[in-house]
Amino acid sequence: PTKPLLFMKPSSCYITAGQNIEIPLGCTDMHHEIELGAIISKDCKRITENEAMNFVGGYCLALDMTARDFQNEAKGKGNPWTFAKMFDTSLPVSEFIPKDKIPDPGNVALWCKVNDELRQNGHTKDMIFSLPYLIAHISQYFTLQEGDLILTGTPSGVGQVKSGDIITGGIPDVTEISFKVEQRT
Amino acid sequence: MSLSGFSKVGRKIVAVGRNYADHAKELGNALPSKPLLFMKPTSSYITAGQSIEIPLGCSELHHEIELGAIINNECKAISEAQAMNFVGGYCLALDMTARDFQDEAKKKGHPWAMAKMFDTSLPVSDVIPLEKIPDPANVQLWCKVNEEMRQNGCTADMIFSLPYLISYISHYFTLQKGDLILTGTPAGVGPVKAGDVITGGIPDVIDISFNVTQRS
Repeated sequence: PTKPLLFMKPSSCYITAGQNIEIPLGCTDMHHEIELGAIISKDCKRITENEAMNFVGGYCLALDMTARDFQNEAKGKGNPWTFAKMFDTSLPVSEFIPKDKIPDPGNVALWCKVNDELRQNGHTKDMIFSLPYLIAHISQYFTLQEGDLILTGTPSGVGQVKSGDIITGGIPDVTEISFKVEQRT
Repeated sequence: MSLSGFSKVGRKIVAVGRNYADHAKELGNALPSKPLLFMKPTSSYITAGQSIEIPLGCSELHHEIELGAIINNECKAISEAQAMNFVGGYCLALDMTARDFQDEAKKKGHPWAMAKMFDTSLPVSDVIPLEKIPDPANVQLWCKVNEEMRQNGCTADMIFSLPYLISYISHYFTLQKGDLILTGTPAGVGPVKAGDVITGGIPDVIDISFNVTQRS
């Protein structure tokens, strides 16, 4: 991409430790996507790349759960990605990671397993657009507010999960997450 | 239960596209067999006295007048029969749309974020109490630009009714108090330029007026 491809997830999609991921109604191909998240500490609008890290208050590890079949259908029709990305339980997150635990967001390893089998194993140095660049770019169009979350993309290795699977993920020596997948009834 | 602060309390806005047959046709879109949903973030709200700003790089900003329904209580997977119990009031809204960004997104299969979610893309009226709109399926709504009539429709022409929409939405996305449902726009959408004044109304219920400015 020549410019960041942005989409949003509503706060209704958050789940935290102890809650389960639910495959949305009609979805037959749900995918895991492990991501580093940056949490905004104060309102920012039209800020520069140089200022951007002043507006980050901490981090989290997240899964951008995606209904891949819904996404392919939406892409084929030119439709919004709403059903693919925004459904309830589509944003499992870790606890808050203090800023000093991640001194350089451009130097973070992150991994994701399904039923203990390694699926994703990447590094934020491979991000095309850096976190400061992303925050500055996003803030030109969408005012960011305290507590807002920026998801910074996922490395290769995304794949399907089924009801009963357990997704684990981690940033070595920083945090780990574990979430169970179930069918929505 | 006062929802006058809905734009500060709500967490999201869920909107439906192509919900009026004549509007779907005017943009060359097929009629939907199920609701086409997208969202707007709360950062896109503006109220009386604030101006609409054309987003960076947009050369075709369109007005889209819509009836909005405000959710008064959390609801998840509710039935159509229960849906109106979860509506606490209404508003008149403009779903401002960067049509050029939207056309580009549709061609590339990209999200509609840049087209629909930008700052100032959701001018809204004050909350309209429930009793002022006894039947949401029988509401006239109009939109003018610089006093020239552009949209003049009625919610009777909606393809998917408000109760159906709320029920459908709630099966995928839990709705929370203060959330807003935008119910679609009738035919007559068109471009606005910096300096234009957009007015809109529901006869005998409410009027809105917003200036369009170039982003500085």
